[in-house]
Amino acid sequence: MGLATCWFMNTVEAEAREVARGLRRRDPTLIDYLIQQYQYRLFRYLLMLTGSREEAQDLFQETWIRVLEKGRQYRPRWRFEAWLFTIARHLAIDFLRRRQPQSLDALQPAGTDRPLELEDTTSPSAFEQAFQGEEAASVAAALRHLPASYREVLTLRFHEDMELEEIARVVDSPLSTVKSRLYRGLATLREWLKDAQT
Amino acid sequence: MRDDMHEQALQLIDKRQVEGLSAQERDRLEAHLEECAQCRARAQANERALQRLRSLSVRVSPGLVKVTQERVHSRARELSEDAARLRALWISCALSWILGVASAPLLWRAFEWAGHYAALPNVIWEAGFVLWWLLPAGAVVALLTWQRQRAGRVDDYTNLPR
Repeated sequence: MGLATCWFMNTVEAEAREVARGLRRRDPTLIDYLIQQYQYRLFRYLLMLTGSREEAQDLFQETWIRVLEKGRQYRPRWRFEAWLFTIARHLAIDFLRRRQPQSLDALQPAGTDRPLELEDTTSPSAFEQAFQGEEAASVAAALRHLPASYREVLTLRFHEDMELEEIARVVDSPLSTVKSRLYRGLATLREWLKDAQT
Repeated sequence: MRDDMHEQALQLIDKRQVEGLSAQERDRLEAHLEECAQCRARAQANERALQRLRSLSVRVSPGLVKVTQERVHSRARELSEDAARLRALWISCALSWILGVASAPLLWRAFEWAGHYAALPNVIWEAGFVLWWLLPAGAVVALLTWQRQRAGRVDDYTNLPR
C-alpha cells in the first residue's frame, strides 16, 4: 500500500469515527453538515428508487430524521453512504407498503431476482425535472423505462462507484442478482439511448 | 467459430463495465476490438450510455435542505427532552427501590399487624405485601411498553454494510 493510499485510508477512518461519535451524541450540527455533504447523492438515489420527485423529497427528510434517531447504531467500520442508502431504502420500502398494501407481493423478496416494482405515480417528467445536463432529457426518458431495482443498482455502481459486494449488502440481495440486474439495466439503457439517438 | 468470438467479446464488453476484467480478458478483448468494427461499435455504445448516465447532475430544491435541517433540529430537541424525562424516571425508580428495601421490615410488620387485626389468614396479608412490592415495578414496565409502542417500529440498523 502506497503512502498516499495509507494516508487517505487513515483520514477516511478518522472521519468515520468522528461521524460515529457525533451520531452517538445526536449532534444536530454534525447532521447539518452531513445533509449538506450528501444531499445530491441521497436525493439522486431516492429519485432513482421511487421515480417520483415528491416522494424522493419526503423520503429525503425522513431519512435524515432516522439517521438522527438511529445514529447510535452506526459503526465507523461501515462506509457512511452505504449505511445512509440502506436506511433510505428501508424507508422507501415501508412507504410503498403503506401506500400499496395490496401490492406487497410486488416487493422483491430477498434472494430472488424479482424487481422491486415501484409504481410511477407522478408526471412522466419526474426525471426530466430533477436532472440537469446536456443529455438529461434522453437519459431521463431511458430511465423511465427501467424497473426501479435496475435504476437502483445502476446508480449505486456507476454514480456511487460502489463495489458489487457492497451493493449486494445495501440492496439485501445475492451478488448474482445484483450482477444480473446490472447487466440487464445496462443493456436496456444502451438500447434506449441508441434508439433515442437514431 | 467467428460467432463464438463475437459472443465472448460482447459478454466481455459488458463485463468490463459491470465487474471489471482480468488482464488476460482485457488483452483478448482489445485484440478482438481492433479487428471487429461491430464489437467496437457495441463497446462505444456502452461507453456512451454510461457517460451520459454519469453526466446527469441532480437538482435539489434549495428549500428541501433547509426544511430537513429544521426538522432534524426539532426532533433532536424532542429526543433530548424525552431522554431527560426517562433519566428522571430511572432516578425515581432507583430511589423508590432503595426506600422500598430500607422500609421492607417495617412494612412487613405493618402488614402482619393489619392482617392479625382484621383476622385474615396469613397467606392473604403476605400476598398483599408482595403485591405492594410489585406494583411500582409493574407501573414502570407498563409505562416503558407504552412509550416503546408510541415510538413505533424499532428498526435495527446494526447489521449493515461495512
